[in-house]
Amino acid sequence: MAHRHTAPPSDTALRVKALESLLVEKGLVDPKALDEVIDTYENKVGPRNGAKVVARAWVNPDYKARLLDDGTAAIAELGFSGVQGEDMVVIENKPKVHNLLVCTLCSCYPWPTLGLPPVWYKAAPYRARAVSDPRGVLKEFGVTLADDVEVRVWDSTAELRYMVLPERPGGTDGMSEAELAALVTRDAMIGTAKVAAP
Amino acid sequence: MPVLTADMVEGLVKTGASCRVDADVKAKFKQGDKVIARNINPPTHTRLPRYVRGKRGVIALDHGVFAFPDTSAHGKGETPQHVYSVRFTARELWGKDASERDSLNIDMWDDYLDPA
Amino acid sequence: MNGIHDLGGMHGMGPVDPERNEPVFHEEWERRVFGLMIATFGGGHYNVDEFRHGIERMDPAHYLTTSYYEHWLHTVETLLIEKGTITRKELDARQAKLAKGGS
Repeated sequence: MAHRHTAPPSDTALRVKALESLLVEKGLVDPKALDEVIDTYENKVGPRNGAKVVARAWVNPDYKARLLDDGTAAIAELGFSGVQGEDMVVIENKPKVHNLLVCTLCSCYPWPTLGLPPVWYKAAPYRARAVSDPRGVLKEFGVTLADDVEVRVWDSTAELRYMVLPERPGGTDGMSEAELAALVTRDAMIGTAKVAAP
Repeated sequence: MPVLTADMVEGLVKTGASCRVDADVKAKFKQGDKVIARNINPPTHTRLPRYVRGKRGVIALDHGVFAFPDTSAHGKGETPQHVYSVRFTARELWGKDASERDSLNIDMWDDYLDPA
Repeated sequence: MNGIHDLGGMHGMGPVDPERNEPVFHEEWERRVFGLMIATFGGGHYNVDEFRHGIERMDPAHYLTTSYYEHWLHTVETLLIEKGTITRKELDARQAKLAKGGS
């Protein structure tokens, strides 16, 4: 099965070209707008945004409280908002609660903070098993949780977009916000990883 | 139809298009209410996955009022209603072999739920 | 609909297979499909629920053997045709012309 990216038949590339050319000719699409959209999501939006949110929450308890209370507003304080992040909910990992995000029906994902989702997040294996065997999936990602830790899966079937606030690792006392942000990975904000100590 | 131009992109990206509906719709449930997911099998669009149908859960959060995909996908209007995060135990969803500690939260519209 | 997209709890889909240092896009056509979706969605040609339903109506075997941006191409094309914005005939003709090296 084509879970992984495989080169499509050249027909697909041609079909896309035909569709764009037709829509441009009809005046329905501006190719410069396409370039701008692509550049935005390829170069400007990505998980470094989410990492800044996490680091701010780690160093600033008031910000953390706002983030957990109204994710959309608190994330917007750092300048991140918009498409696929219009209504954000941030959930906190704790020593005895580990949260894991999935979209079983499609590929819902918080674009403003995490960027576009990786292929595995959108592919059948993860979407099928994250809900029924989260511990098994986590183990494949190298995360083994003790039996007394509750795994909480969040299936984003509606228009809320979720982000995990991972636990701050030990050995990070005195680190600056920017140094902390550099430790935070995309997977830690999905819940398929923990943030490793430096 | 409006055409998206390059100078509109930044505004669109930053603002997005929330499906939240500013309508004064009464919530059928409140936090802590016990609910059962309806067993419906429409051949049309729905965001109620099979694995949760007929299962018993608890309202964890009320997210507010949103457009309803089952009608919105078919030109039948927004049918605004409350969306909740509903919590199910892993055992309720997957049976006795699942962890007794684990749980799943899933977003559900009022029209997917009955009181349990 | 009880479609192939409703994957939660299914077995036999294989292991989760993350790619190291995955790029945002793998192919130029993926960039263009992404841009076309945002442009046509932003232009009000369809709503998010119609967009998702267009993917759900894919042939199940096709759904499982194609990548996510092929799903997007499928639904954008399907919706624009169903709404009368373009016709399949003119899209096919444009593709044939491009295949011959035209523009």
